[in-house]
Amino acid sequence: MPLPPEVVTAAARAGAGEEVQARIPDVATLAGALDGVDYLADPGLATALFLGVRLPQPLLLEGEPGVGKTEAAKALARVLDTPLYRLQCFEGIDAGEALYEWNHPRQLLGIRLAEARGAPLAEDDLFGPEYLLRRPLLQAIEHPGPRPAVLLLDEIDRADAEFEAFTFEVLAEAAVTVPELGTIRAAHPPVVVLTSNRTRDLHDALTRRCLYHWIDYPDPERVAEIVRRRVPGSAEPLAVAAASAVTRLRSLDMVKPPGIAEVIDWVAALSLLGLTRLDPPAVEATWGSVLKNRDDQELARTRGAAWLAGA
Amino acid sequence: MPELPSIGPGPLAVALTTALHRSGLPVTPERAAGLARALRLVPPLDRVALYWTCRVALVTDRAQLPVFDAVFSAIFDGRLDPADSRGDPNAPPPIGAEPRTRPAPPDDRPSTPGESGGAAGSAAGEGEDTEREALLAVASTEERLRQTSFADLTDEELTGVRELVRRLVLSTPERRSRRVRPRRRGERLDLRRTVRAAQRTGGDPVRLVRAHRRTQPRRLVLLCDVSGSMEPYTRIYLTLLQGAVAGARAEAFVFSTRLTRLTRELSVRDPDQALARAGATTSDWAGGTRLAEGIGRFVAGHGRRGLARGAVVVVLSDGWATDDPEEVAEAMRRLRRLAHRVVWVNPRKAAPGYAPLVGGMAAALPFCDAFVSGHSLAALEQVVSAVAEERPGTG
Repeated sequence: MPLPPEVVTAAARAGAGEEVQARIPDVATLAGALDGVDYLADPGLATALFLGVRLPQPLLLEGEPGVGKTEAAKALARVLDTPLYRLQCFEGIDAGEALYEWNHPRQLLGIRLAEARGAPLAEDDLFGPEYLLRRPLLQAIEHPGPRPAVLLLDEIDRADAEFEAFTFEVLAEAAVTVPELGTIRAAHPPVVVLTSNRTRDLHDALTRRCLYHWIDYPDPERVAEIVRRRVPGSAEPLAVAAASAVTRLRSLDMVKPPGIAEVIDWVAALSLLGLTRLDPPAVEATWGSVLKNRDDQELARTRGAAWLAGA
Repeated sequence: MPELPSIGPGPLAVALTTALHRSGLPVTPERAAGLARALRLVPPLDRVALYWTCRVALVTDRAQLPVFDAVFSAIFDGRLDPADSRGDPNAPPPIGAEPRTRPAPPDDRPSTPGESGGAAGSAAGEGEDTEREALLAVASTEERLRQTSFADLTDEELTGVRELVRRLVLSTPERRSRRVRPRRRGERLDLRRTVRAAQRTGGDPVRLVRAHRRTQPRRLVLLCDVSGSMEPYTRIYLTLLQGAVAGARAEAFVFSTRLTRLTRELSVRDPDQALARAGATTSDWAGGTRLAEGIGRFVAGHGRRGLARGAVVVVLSDGWATDDPEEVAEAMRRLRRLAHRVVWVNPRKAAPGYAPLVGGMAAALPFCDAFVSGHSLAALEQVVSAVAEERPGTG
């Protein structure tokens, strides 16, 4: 069962630490800092991240694949200059994969070694910190500071509802109890970012505790700017042309509409081939870097390379 | 942005959330408090800052954005005083005003989130159960009712049959889960338990504890056509959908000209209320069908993201579509690639001399693993076994 909301709000009311406040005094500073680590955040996303860090409250990010949900968390960690702990969720994920597990092979070895040396081994020795395998949730909680770590729970909708509730219980308490070791309490509760692809409705208890932000696919100018930063040495006109070509592709009924990642791949491929302009022959040579589904390629080919190149 | 209302974060948050709540958005007082705290951190210096702070703090789902935007714009662009938006007769008609006239469903939503998921399974109280047993007994003596097409039932009979349909248990074949549980002849070693046991034998893993992967039922997805030609069957099928959502944790969608996810609406306790709500969210009730569009949208918007992967997908439709058979075939091909099995339920199949020659149906048929009629109670039992069937060649 999830904890009553008082626990969460009590933790939230404590506010962010001074270190964090000094580093991120307002939204504009955060947007600038994200820009500094080459992540372009629009005012909406910057506000969402700012509130997530400063309230503090977990932030649920949704949006089509490839709009930079995971990247946002990584960029935030770079801005805070703290480690990012990423937990990729999947069906059937359990506490052992999220929190901690005992290193059983090492324990067995430990037993055998102790026996070979003729030294008796107490159970306490066997369940000491050195035999503990720390998983992302525990790592994020154990992070010593001075600023909180960023914990990314990627594709939380893939995990089952029980796991969702369990995770939130841990985060609300900001403490983990390992029966053999005792309770580990977070000195700096992590900044939590969750992403979801909406394969199922998330539990109300989760959405209630989170800030929510939907990331739209950005306009071509912004895409071009992102590409220019991510593919060093790419020609500016090429990035602009590729960004608007992908916007054209996205207007078709695609099985997998290309996202920002595809534009980056495409421009990288074109640059590698030494092409500086997006003309029909260039498109013909590089279909595969932007469209990664046979049906989509066929659909785009019927429109022709010239249409895509904007000629 | 014209002049911003000069009121504190607290009153502003309350006024905005009240307006949103009246327009049907489920905004809790807790969120209003959250917004007030957020506004202290991000001073609303201009409209953009105010908009994003409010949106991030209050909206919990993408689907709420249109209503949120309308209400926000009505309050802050229409220069309405949010503290007094109700009483001003000279105020321009707010854009978000229309939804207010609609009976707002979120009020009767289960407010404790812990309950909304699990409780739906126990749909009936104790008293109703005996009544249902009686109905069942009556119905089972009347074999006629079992064989009658849903289209020929009287209203009274329909009520009785719906009770029986609700009791149908749909269950899907199993697939292997990633989780394990101990078992004597399990397929893999459970290291954790083996180490524990080894401590008792001086570190020698004498007793090997084995574990076996658990199995889990496959996901069930039901797509129900609610267009005009399906009308005689729609009410029964919605009952079937509801039973499946409650009992088999199925995902339910309806479509005619567009696709609507109904899982949540169908999981509330009272079935008729759920049907009413289903009607409220399906504006295209009893209109024409766009089969390719409906299935295509399901695959693109939900199925590919994981909902249909490895699932048993049941389509309930007569296949009378207004769109191009080739598009239907394409949509079905995409669905087929994702799903474990595709079962098509077509109530017209039972009609004498029926052959699946209608454009859409003929195009869809090659991609179906099972094709059943489901036009009567007896025929619905075929649906149950078609859903439970294992695809040949998979374990």
